[in-house]
Amino acid sequence: MDRQLTIWLLIFAVGATTYAARMSFIAFFARRAMPPWLAEALKHVPVAMITAIIVPSIAFVSPGALQLDAGNAKLVAALVAGGVAWWGQSTAAGGMIVRQTAVLTIAAGMIVLWLLKYLVG
Amino acid sequence: MRAHFNRTAFLEGVRDMSPMLIGIVPFGMVCGVGAIAAGASPIAALAMSMIMFSGAAQIVATQLLTAGAPFAVIVLSCFVVSLRLMMYSAAMAPYLRPLDQRWRSLLAYVLTDQAFARTIQRFRESDDVAANASYFLGSGALLWVVWQLATLLGILAGQIVPASWGLEFVVPLCFIAILMPLLRDRVSLQVFIVTAIAAVMLDAMPLRLSMICAGLFGIAAGVLADARKGSRRG
Repeated sequence: MDRQLTIWLLIFAVGATTYAARMSFIAFFARRAMPPWLAEALKHVPVAMITAIIVPSIAFVSPGALQLDAGNAKLVAALVAGGVAWWGQSTAAGGMIVRQTAVLTIAAGMIVLWLLKYLVG
Repeated sequence: MRAHFNRTAFLEGVRDMSPMLIGIVPFGMVCGVGAIAAGASPIAALAMSMIMFSGAAQIVATQLLTAGAPFAVIVLSCFVVSLRLMMYSAAMAPYLRPLDQRWRSLLAYVLTDQAFARTIQRFRESDDVAANASYFLGSGALLWVVWQLATLLGILAGQIVPASWGLEFVVPLCFIAILMPLLRDRVSLQVFIVTAIAAVMLDAMPLRLSMICAGLFGIAAGVLADARKGSRRG
């Protein structure tokens, strides 16, 4: 098959599946009530899924290579960023502070990552 | 649709999502660069960001395209990384129920990791459906517009940022900024710990199934912790 045609077909096929995934339960529970136990369980989705997304990109230095010590610059940077985020949110609440904390968290993580790369080589 | 639109809340959503752009811009650029590298025309590369509108699915699709994987394998792999969107869909569903069909269809389109994680707390804490929906739309609209611009920048400018800068690391850092305020109680901490351990242990699973499986372990841990808490009280 022609490369461009394949790519266009892929765009529509994957686009349809991602939209179907996004719409799935919103559509399903639009006309019927959600069982309370399910609603309770779904409260844990944000923490569980964000953790599942970020942990592999922090704990593994390359595919399959787990490194849980100070030699893993990404792990150290993530811990510092987490500390900054924790400090920021315990200092104050409110939209302004939340936004500033997010920027500080990202900046702290990147600076630590670059420093470690530069210092260690 | 106009009946539900709340301009103030929309702009609030735009403002509160703005720090996340630090992560969205390099991520979108990577998707643009990746699509070109996989042999897509510039128009197709941009269409990918508009139609898929999912960084995870786009990265998987372009990497597998470059590797010469069969069509069905690519679609299946993208579906697996999109399973988490079904969970977000379920978690959002009760809050979107009072809205009309057009609003639900539109909000589903802009349902992303960042928009979901940053907005769900507001839906839980406030009953003002119109304001919440407009806030969500504002967050999603900003992400959508910037995602397209970033992809375009990636297509046009290519690899202007050297890989040695490790700029892709801003993506997990953004998620850390979202995650920390959510870890407010013991149960959430337990969900975090169980998911983290499962994500490491299951990492070798094929098709990136580890992400959804680790997430399910974490949710199960949360349900068990809630049940224990409930029985202690009762």
